[in-house]
Amino acid sequence: MVVITLQRNKCIGCNYCVELAPNLFQMSKKDGKSVLLNTKEKKGFYTLKSNDFNILEASENASKACPVNIISVKIN
Amino acid sequence: MQKIELMAPAGNFESMQAALDNGADSIYFGVEQLNMRARATVNFTLEDLPEIVKRCEAKNVRTYLTLNTIIYDHDLSIVKTLIKQAKQVNITAVIAMDQAVIAVAREHGMEVHISTQINITNIETVKFYALFADTMVLSRELSLRQVKYITDQIEKDQIKGPSGRLIEIEIFGHGALCMAVSGKCYMSLHSHNSSANRGACKQNCRKKYTVIDQETGVEMELDNEYIMSPKDLCTIDFLDQVADAGIKVLKIEGRGRAPEYVAKVIKCYREAIDSIANGNYSKEQVITWMQELEKVYNRGFWSGYYLGQKLGEWSKGSGSHATQKKVYIGKGVHFYPKAKVGEFKIEAYDLSIDDTILITGTTTGAKEFQLKQMLVNDEPLLKGTKGDSITIPLDFRIRPSDKLYKIVENKVEV
Repeated sequence: MVVITLQRNKCIGCNYCVELAPNLFQMSKKDGKSVLLNTKEKKGFYTLKSNDFNILEASENASKACPVNIISVKIN
Repeated sequence: MQKIELMAPAGNFESMQAALDNGADSIYFGVEQLNMRARATVNFTLEDLPEIVKRCEAKNVRTYLTLNTIIYDHDLSIVKTLIKQAKQVNITAVIAMDQAVIAVAREHGMEVHISTQINITNIETVKFYALFADTMVLSRELSLRQVKYITDQIEKDQIKGPSGRLIEIEIFGHGALCMAVSGKCYMSLHSHNSSANRGACKQNCRKKYTVIDQETGVEMELDNEYIMSPKDLCTIDFLDQVADAGIKVLKIEGRGRAPEYVAKVIKCYREAIDSIANGNYSKEQVITWMQELEKVYNRGFWSGYYLGQKLGEWSKGSGSHATQKKVYIGKGVHFYPKAKVGEFKIEAYDLSIDDTILITGTTTGAKEFQLKQMLVNDEPLLKGTKGDSITIPLDFRIRPSDKLYKIVENKVEV
């Protein structure tokens, strides 16, 4: 299972994650920060669990590119 | 001559209070992510705006909201929210770079200041932005001669902003400088995907580098390994010339700096500006101020480009050359208002009579003084150690969230 986590409050809205993983991330038009799609929040962390390993490469690219290191990708 | 406005950086409530207590005429600060210190944990939130205004208005201090990154389409909504809210709570002005921010601010009747990120270097650009803004920060790379030409032309041509007042020129007076022209740098973006122009500079110019000839593998001999890290700007030793250049606002850099830095730097520049106004600015005072400024974070000082220097002076190390540093001792416990005594718990090291101490807090700001009297576990002792409870007579109130530090000498390795 691929587990992607976004610590949203630290986002500076640079848009890299959206460029690299447009199916997973979107910029919020409300506050200009990144949104990890189809997730729920728990203590400021937004987590996506998926069995679709096709999302792994894009999410890892987004994680590596994030200047404030708020995207983590793990395989469980 | 109109007295220069002293503008202080406020990265958080501690620094803001330190600025207010030490004589700032105005403060500038960021809210949320759209400012040049987006990475730092030193930003206020939207909810803090009313408290900022309340504390500043009580001291007649003007408030400037920095909204000076480059702006993408997905930012436009938060830009509008921020400006609307700022206008509502009576923030004095917005410091802007992007035309979108300028437009939205004008739409909401908000005063606009042009950020140094726009790099104004000539009078025609001043005329252009006078359509939208009342105050403009000039490029940090101009000489005072060039600055004076601009301020003279504003006067001569009567260039006025939307408020109907003559355009006021602001320059940076003290603090960090970039190797790039006023922040327009792509180095951090290039190496870390982390854009300085979105307030996320990684400061990789501050590191040590060697230059290697790829063909031969020979390392180039350099006088200084910190070839991209300029020393910090300091103008206090020629502030009379700065004043003569006709500027109206002197900005102190440092929203990422500690509250005691803000306290010290603002106090020195307050005294310097006042002494120029009173006609008693002297070399002796400059020596004292310089010694004080060297105590807090600095990369060594130089005069920037103001006196006509062609190239930068490079720092001799990666970190601070400060002659002093703070050591955490403990935290506030209680304040007894009748007796005017503050109680602290020592959690680390020790504290002795005659030590210089620093108390910081979101409402307390940064208060530094020499310890002349204390009770250790209710007894008048000369020294308290870890675990002890101490009480100190104070002429200001402290809070349980306050931190107590000792100021010690910092040995600088160069």
